[in-house]
Amino acid sequence: MDEARNLSYMFYGFAAAFVILAIYVASLAMRERKLRTEIDRVRRMVEDTSKKN
Amino acid sequence: MKTFLRAAAAIASKDLRSEMRTKEAFNASFAFAMVILVLFSFAFDPDSEELQTISGGLLWLVFSFAGALILNRSFARELQNDCLDALMSAPVPVAAVFFGKVLANYFLLMIVEIAALAAFSILYNTHFSAQFWPVVLVMLLGTWGMTVIGTMFSALTVNLRMREMMLPTLVYPLLIPALMAAMTLTSDLMNGTPLGADNLIWLRVLTGFDFIYTILAMVFIDIVLVG
Amino acid sequence: MTDTRDRIMLLLTAICAALLTFSLYKIFLVLPDEANQGAIYRIVYVHVPAIFTGFTGFFVALGASAAYLITGKLKYDAFAAAVTEVALAFATIVLATGMIWGRIIWGIWWAWDARLTTMLVCWLIYAGYLMLRRAIEEPTQRARLSAVVSIFGCVDILIVWKSIEWWRTQHPAPVLSVRDGGGMGPGMEAPIYWNWLAFMCLAVILVMVRTRQERMAGEIDSLRRMAHSY
Repeated sequence: MDEARNLSYMFYGFAAAFVILAIYVASLAMRERKLRTEIDRVRRMVEDTSKKN
Repeated sequence: MKTFLRAAAAIASKDLRSEMRTKEAFNASFAFAMVILVLFSFAFDPDSEELQTISGGLLWLVFSFAGALILNRSFARELQNDCLDALMSAPVPVAAVFFGKVLANYFLLMIVEIAALAAFSILYNTHFSAQFWPVVLVMLLGTWGMTVIGTMFSALTVNLRMREMMLPTLVYPLLIPALMAAMTLTSDLMNGTPLGADNLIWLRVLTGFDFIYTILAMVFIDIVLVG
Repeated sequence: MTDTRDRIMLLLTAICAALLTFSLYKIFLVLPDEANQGAIYRIVYVHVPAIFTGFTGFFVALGASAAYLITGKLKYDAFAAAVTEVALAFATIVLATGMIWGRIIWGIWWAWDARLTTMLVCWLIYAGYLMLRRAIEEPTQRARLSAVVSIFGCVDILIVWKSIEWWRTQHPAPVLSVRDGGGMGPGMEAPIYWNWLAFMCLAVILVMVRTRQERMAGEIDSLRRMAHSY
């Protein structure tokens, strides 16, 4: 019965959609973290150089 | 209009003359086309009837790979000695410079293609001669589309570090409609089906593609090269 | 400014979660199996909303690219980049769910039919667009060139679409009632639209996050230039 309903492939379909979204969100989060550390670093660099002069 | 054409002709003849002196793009492109043609004989059974049905596709693969070599160099060769800046500051429209380059590339590519077509029909025993003029027409139209898009993106990628990689990744997907039409038409013609009601639609696609992108490229080339 | 932005994002997240819960409940627990396809037809509720969302995104990106070329304001470029990236994620969902569905219904993972081919070409073009953006460092040059690529790409998709429509069509024609009376059972169609709304909310959230990142990257750039100019 379940074979004819193709339940497993339905599950794969939904899983694929959510996995792709999850991967994209994870990549966004990773980029966010990288950008934040970078912006802090650059801000400090600007402050340091402006103090020296 | 007249000055536009005269400027374009001047650029085209300049490009062709410098190509005549070195022949580097032409030689590389032609040699590459020959190598692909030989490699096809290992990928398919060269004597089978099946080859006839896919011959149009194979031929356009050869053309588009060989074309990339010529088009890649089109604007990149102006980088030496800041020739590109000089060209841009010349008192002619940027579109004229672009059009001249398209003409030169078109001429070169057509020569390579005719040579490759001859080699192809000898090596693989295909019979395009029965439909010689229709095949030439398809080649003229298909190559125009390829040249316009290729020259446009040659200009677009000229200042990039990864120029050689970016050009094919951008150009081939855009060329898909033109190549699809040209491949279908050429295969049909080589199988002896004349141009007619069945495949006229593809001729329309090809002409439409050429028309749309020639206009788009002329409009946008200013933005790409000057800003 | 950031406060309202955060509040909008929070609101959208709530709406999206509520809509998704509601429609997933409908899809899995209320609606019956389809007569011919069994349970697997439910993939339609992800597949179709995702393609609607993806194409909406690509057209918005076309508008944003044109807006950048007309006004020269970098914020439109950042927006175009963000929208394209999110739309590409949805296009990937369309391809993946479509292949899984096709594996059962057609017995093959992939068919070279009009819709599938167009979708793949579309995916390749916009992936190229994003790669081009990575290859250029100078912000205005990047904005200029990628806007041109976006416009060329959009035109190309229209040509591909038109030219293979009458060629090989294995993919079923749209069965939604907006086009022709409708081929789906009563109550079966509504979740498609609910899911579309949910996906659009999600897409807007993602675009907002991504646009903020583009702005941060721009800020880093100008800060760096400031640091080196001392």
